[in-house]
Amino acid sequence: MQTPTALVQDLIDAIGEDAIVWHDEDLLVYEYDGTIDRGNPDVIALPADTDDVIRLIRVANRHGAPITPRGAGTGLSGGALAARGGVVIGMNRMRRILNVDAENKTALVQPGVVNLDLGAEAERHDLAYAPDPSSQRACTIGGNIAENAGGPHTLAWGTTTNHVLALELVTADGEVQWIGHDTRDEPGYDLVGCVVGSEGTVGIVTQALVRLVPRPAAVRTLLAVYDSVRQASNAVSAVVASGIVPAALEMIDKMTIAAIEPVLQTGFPLDAEAVLLVEVDGPESQVEAEGARVEGILTRFEPREVRSATDPQEREQLWAGRKGAIGALGQIMPNYYLLDGVVPRTKLPDVLDAVYEIADRYRLPVANMFHAGDGNLHPCLLFDEREPGATERVLDAGGEIMRVCVDAGGAITGEHGVGLEKRDYLPWIFTEADMDAMKSLRAAFGPTENFNPCKIFPKGHGCGEAGHQHAQHQIAKFGPKAFV
Amino acid sequence: MQAQAIEAVQIANIHTAAQEYRIDSHTPSSIAAPTAHASVEQALTSASRERLAVTPIGGRTMLDLGMPPRQYDLALDLSGMNQVVEYEPDDFTITVEAGMTLAQLQRRLTVNGQFLPLDHPRFERATLGGVCAVGRGGLRRNAHGGPRDWLIGMRMVQADGVSIKGGGRVVKNVSGYDLPKLFAGSLGTLGVITELTFKLRPLPASDQIVAVAAPSLEAALAAARAAAQAAPFLNGCVALSADSAVEARALGAKSLQDEPTIVLRASGLESAASEVLSQALRAIRDAGISGPERRTSEIVETWQAIADLELQTPPDHVRLRVGLPPASLIRAQTILDQRLDDAAHWITAADSGLLFVTAPSADADTIRRLRDDLQPLQGRLTIESAPPELKRAANVWGPTGTGARLMHSIKEQFDPHGILNPGRFVDGI
Repeated sequence: MQTPTALVQDLIDAIGEDAIVWHDEDLLVYEYDGTIDRGNPDVIALPADTDDVIRLIRVANRHGAPITPRGAGTGLSGGALAARGGVVIGMNRMRRILNVDAENKTALVQPGVVNLDLGAEAERHDLAYAPDPSSQRACTIGGNIAENAGGPHTLAWGTTTNHVLALELVTADGEVQWIGHDTRDEPGYDLVGCVVGSEGTVGIVTQALVRLVPRPAAVRTLLAVYDSVRQASNAVSAVVASGIVPAALEMIDKMTIAAIEPVLQTGFPLDAEAVLLVEVDGPESQVEAEGARVEGILTRFEPREVRSATDPQEREQLWAGRKGAIGALGQIMPNYYLLDGVVPRTKLPDVLDAVYEIADRYRLPVANMFHAGDGNLHPCLLFDEREPGATERVLDAGGEIMRVCVDAGGAITGEHGVGLEKRDYLPWIFTEADMDAMKSLRAAFGPTENFNPCKIFPKGHGCGEAGHQHAQHQIAKFGPKAFV
Repeated sequence: MQAQAIEAVQIANIHTAAQEYRIDSHTPSSIAAPTAHASVEQALTSASRERLAVTPIGGRTMLDLGMPPRQYDLALDLSGMNQVVEYEPDDFTITVEAGMTLAQLQRRLTVNGQFLPLDHPRFERATLGGVCAVGRGGLRRNAHGGPRDWLIGMRMVQADGVSIKGGGRVVKNVSGYDLPKLFAGSLGTLGVITELTFKLRPLPASDQIVAVAAPSLEAALAAARAAAQAAPFLNGCVALSADSAVEARALGAKSLQDEPTIVLRASGLESAASEVLSQALRAIRDAGISGPERRTSEIVETWQAIADLELQTPPDHVRLRVGLPPASLIRAQTILDQRLDDAAHWITAADSGLLFVTAPSADADTIRRLRDDLQPLQGRLTIESAPPELKRAANVWGPTGTGARLMHSIKEQFDPHGILNPGRFVDGI
């Protein structure tokens, strides 16, 4: 029989026994978030409202306990892991859509609302919530805000930061404030812009006012199958250069097809090298004309076939392969390591070549499924962690791929966040002065050193053992110097 | 002092030039016009050492904006830094120096069939550094957002002369905190912006403008609201009072008449733009407006003339800006009209809840009452231009919300000695 620690007892006193999870066996679920890293929290707290969040933060601060906010744990960068133990504040009970204002096209939501649920509610008002991460069936708006999440449809509409107007934020000192404004007319600094993408390191969002967008009258999805990744990449460049802004422009490669075909029966030829998905939307006449133009461009690069659909169900089928891709990877290997590099669009073909070359050299199968129109790559390195040395090989290969993205003028993460996973790579793109300025911004939000510690920035105090132990190895291999 | 404070920086003739940099009757004691990033570093290093108050300056189109300066020693004129740093058209991104004007940039991009979807008054003079430091969305903000939404990277020099950067050259990025968001709209109070990277859009195949006259401003506004709701993909939806329409015509919007006017803009493929305009025009007709449709082929000139209206009032003439959720726009217009005896020169963006009005006789008490009235509508009233006494008495920015504490704390972190544009921003920052 476990007895509660003083911290656990105080948390129970603060928000009630039902809302505190502290038995060892119950904590296991929260150790993991889909990355290679692990983090062991001491206790999980599940607040029901803003006042609960304030109480929890005050209790944790009194005990000097680290705080890690958590949504659905789908971030894939270790951002929701309790790197130094302490309290994980799970926002999943705060999942109400408080208001949809159809005339002003806004929605007021709690952070635990699932992305797809907000989309469904918006649709009832003939509106849409634009950011649509592939994990949208599970991921929460609060988590999307923390990571500045993207998704296939951010090519036309921008990422989460373009869609969050105002926030109720409880800062690390337990103070609550509203920041931002319905039409971004609040005079002063863009605090909302600072909080979105800050990976839960400056406070906890307890309410969000988000922008909804009008739903297009028509949508057409096109799918083209190619015999080489180069051809597909060239088709991507040609579509982008044509002056059309597709709603989405996605690619999946041969390894991904091999994974999804047995599970989803999408009918992709197993010997094809790449499949492109392009979506155009807007007024009927525009979709008709642009759809035809896109089809013409795709055809120019000698596809094996081009499919097209405007009916929602048929479109859903064309998307099934892309959206179910990650889940299907288990068909090939038990583990995957999903990267999130982003490069200028013209560098995409060369960087893809390099990704295949690196994976080859490390003897790792690699599946690519990604937001080609944005230059946002998601190479998935497939491995079996039970095989000795496999995890190290994966991390080394991942590091090399990241380095290639940086050397191509890109960045280390497009939509998943730096988290625990990539903090040692941050100096590849930012100088000490750049990172000091970021830390100054963090310091402005109060005593944040215990707030989601060990994330984003390299080697924080007490973070030596947090996350994977390969950081030093990575630095030794690729160099700590900023790429400026 | 000043000569040594700005060593290695080109100094203009202070006696003749200082008036050009006047802000609310304050003139600077020095002017520096750097042509390279390193000179900005040097200027700030020296200024920081000597605790000189520095105001970064671009095209001088919006020097009226903000509270009168608490101290004003060095005008740092960035307009000489106006080069393209890197442009790969197929990436749909561009990096430019902060002193490049918006018009210069658009001309460079047009050649490649691209543009930056930002509106700003006097775009021939307004620099991108200035546009971003002011940081506001323009008349087409419903369709395009503001500078924050197009900025993907930035290089800046901090108060102590140390250079930093944020973001990058890719269109999606969550590597580190989003410093470009922090600096956009910070009115030069956190650092001096020297380079900016934007994501770009392809120029639409078709861009159309239609103007329809209405019997009154109220009727124009109501019809414009109906149009915005019926045609959510409009690119722009503006209602002007008759005096604004006259001025806009003088500035180049030749198709406008001297009547209250609704101006609609739609872009995209020709058939799609026409379809959107038809939807909007039907709503206008349904709202009882029967005036003829006046089309123009001079899209850029017409729209820019309307955008320029904002800065047509002479300095020291009271000009107000109100932003609020668009559903409350009509109510806000009524409130302003009732409280202001001599309200004139109305410009409203009906699809995004933006309103400009001049009121020569407005006093601090009236403005306080207006703010109280607008508060329940989530309306925010800013004084864009006014005599310094009124600016001080009424506070240009109005009350700052619960975020004020964080804003002071950020200012303290980034400019601990308060040398950057002191006193001009919100809440004494």
